[in-house]
Amino acid sequence: MRRRLLLALVAVALALALVPVASAGEVVVGIDRTRVSTSLGRSFSFTTTVANRGTGPTGTLVAHLNILSLKPGLYVDPEDWSSDRTHYLHPIPPGGSRAVRWRVKAVNGGSLAAYVTVVPQSGAGTPATSRALRFDATSRKTLNSGGVLPIALGVPGGIALLALAVRVQRRRRGRRVRIRVV
Amino acid sequence: MIVAGQELRDHWLGGRALGLTLALSLLLSVVSYLVATNQALNYLEQRESVNLTLQVAVAVGALLALLAAADTISGERERGTLESLLVTPISRQQLVAGKLAAALSLWIGAFAVTVPYVWYLGRGIGVVSEALAAGLVVGTLVAVFLASLGVLISSVSRSNRVSLSVSLLLLLVLFAPTQFPTSAQQGWLGDFLLRVNPLTAGEHYIGKIVVDSHAWSHDASWLLSPVLGAAVFAAAAIAAARSISLHGGSRS
Repeated sequence: MRRRLLLALVAVALALALVPVASAGEVVVGIDRTRVSTSLGRSFSFTTTVANRGTGPTGTLVAHLNILSLKPGLYVDPEDWSSDRTHYLHPIPPGGSRAVRWRVKAVNGGSLAAYVTVVPQSGAGTPATSRALRFDATSRKTLNSGGVLPIALGVPGGIALLALAVRVQRRRRGRRVRIRVV
Repeated sequence: MIVAGQELRDHWLGGRALGLTLALSLLLSVVSYLVATNQALNYLEQRESVNLTLQVAVAVGALLALLAAADTISGERERGTLESLLVTPISRQQLVAGKLAAALSLWIGAFAVTVPYVWYLGRGIGVVSEALAAGLVVGTLVAVFLASLGVLISSVSRSNRVSLSVSLLLLLVLFAPTQFPTSAQQGWLGDFLLRVNPLTAGEHYIGKIVVDSHAWSHDASWLLSPVLGAAVFAAAAIAAARSISLHGGSRS
């Protein structure tokens, strides 16, 4: 009885192993656009489509967004640009596809690129990568120390004048009261 | 109402509140100048500079309210004017409520002074109105909590010096969790301490709205301790008004 059960289990395992499973090499990542113009602080979104061109279903896939600067000198921390950079995708049947929407906020000005890489959750195989989405974020001078000076000097100055006026008023009142008493 | 009016006149026309507000404005001017010296801050840094200015304003504004509240009863006691106040035809609860309202006016003044700085630092990134609204709500809750705490301490203190010292010590204790290392803040105990402390919870909430652009409802649980702290301590300060004595301390 035990022997039969063991044989049955081996047979099932062999059958499962023989079912073709799409490798990462048969997964194709498409992107709905390759260029975006934006400005500092604005958000934009794009969609990638993960398609299974293989003959068997894929396993669970992990899609990950990466962002880099095309020019040296600009530090890019992708975490700042997108709070949701990793998506776990359920197995895709052969010929099927899954769309993933990515939302990015431009936190620096400059020429940058974003791309999406898809890796099987098992970690084995070659990652599939989308075409790069190039985006130019126009920067602007947001703050400057000269511009803040009117406020930095004006507010304390205004309060000091108000305090002075209150003090003068109080002294005048005090003097009037003293004169009446005299 | 009469007590509040008199106290407001004492604070604002007496010059003390204006002097403290002037000191706050100088501090905010220095902070704004320093954060604005970078010619091209990135988007997040600009939000963080708004957050920093707002948090300084909330902390100092609440401190001013606490200082004013810590002087309310013990100050009158020390100046020998408490007796005449207690024989006036108003209840002790009304007396404390009026003094509490007047102490809170220092926070309102501090907030009014903060508005132009936040406007300058946050313009162009659509954060000004949200930051000011969050600052006003959280700052008011924290100020009510601290001012009520100050009134409670002042009610039982024998001298003004004791009242101010204990109030400032408690304020330092409340601020201490902000100095924890990041790893300590991330554990369950660190998270609990940050949440249970109205000051740290309030400042965390402001940061989430201003820096991370979260919706007001997203981190609403962080507002629980500021709301509870304000309600419980305000009620306790007014309830404790019944036991105000001429000499302070515990009754023998």
